[in-house]
Amino acid sequence: MSEVSSLLLTFLREAWIALAGVFVAFAFLAGIAQMLRVGSASVLGANLWVWESISALISIMVLGLFAFLGIPQIVNALQSTLPGAAGCGPISELGVLASGLIGGLAALRMLKAAFTTMLFASMGGASSLANALVESGEALFGMILASAAIPLAAWFLGTC
Amino acid sequence: MFEPIMEQILTIARDAWAFMAGLLIVVALLGGLYYILQGTAGMAFGGSRMTSMAIIGVVGLVIIVLFAFLFLPQLGEMLKGFQPQPPF
Repeated sequence: MSEVSSLLLTFLREAWIALAGVFVAFAFLAGIAQMLRVGSASVLGANLWVWESISALISIMVLGLFAFLGIPQIVNALQSTLPGAAGCGPISELGVLASGLIGGLAALRMLKAAFTTMLFASMGGASSLANALVESGEALFGMILASAAIPLAAWFLGTC
Repeated sequence: MFEPIMEQILTIARDAWAFMAGLLIVVALLGGLYYILQGTAGMAFGGSRMTSMAIIGVVGLVIIVLFAFLFLPQLGEMLKGFQPQPPF
């Protein structure tokens, strides 16, 4: 069980590293796309467009900081609340596997939400911070539910 | 495992960066030409406000381009420095 767990977690860790690397690349692209909008709008004299682009630039920075500083802290905090080894025997091992996987999947889902928003911003669209936060909230809620489900399952299946 | 896919995406992103940087230079050059035309026309018929607005426009454009090419990479490098290891 521990081998399966470590294999799956390695897969998720590699996905995290790749997604974080691509996130930085798209943050660069989103930044220059917004600067292009600022430049062309200021030449055209479109003041509103300039302010929209400047606020989008600030939004990109905030999103990047949230993705790289906020998400790992949230995941660490929630993983410490997940009951890893409820009971003993196979139930305990399943609990450890489940809590590791739940943490990994939730972390990846939050980073994916931030990445999708950054992708839209890099194409010159609006960087909707709200969408990323809503999806992160869903992942958090899922982790909280799972933290309640693991001890319940252990109790239902019988603990020693 | 994800290394080859990541390399492909990063190559596309690098090309897109070069394209957008080139486009920014072209837009800035066109904008500068427009402001020079505006300033020259203003000078020709004594429109001092038009000329001063054109000079301010050129200065603003230079600031925007400098911001894009100097400040933006620094911001990106800072973000890269924050790149976290997997928290699980």
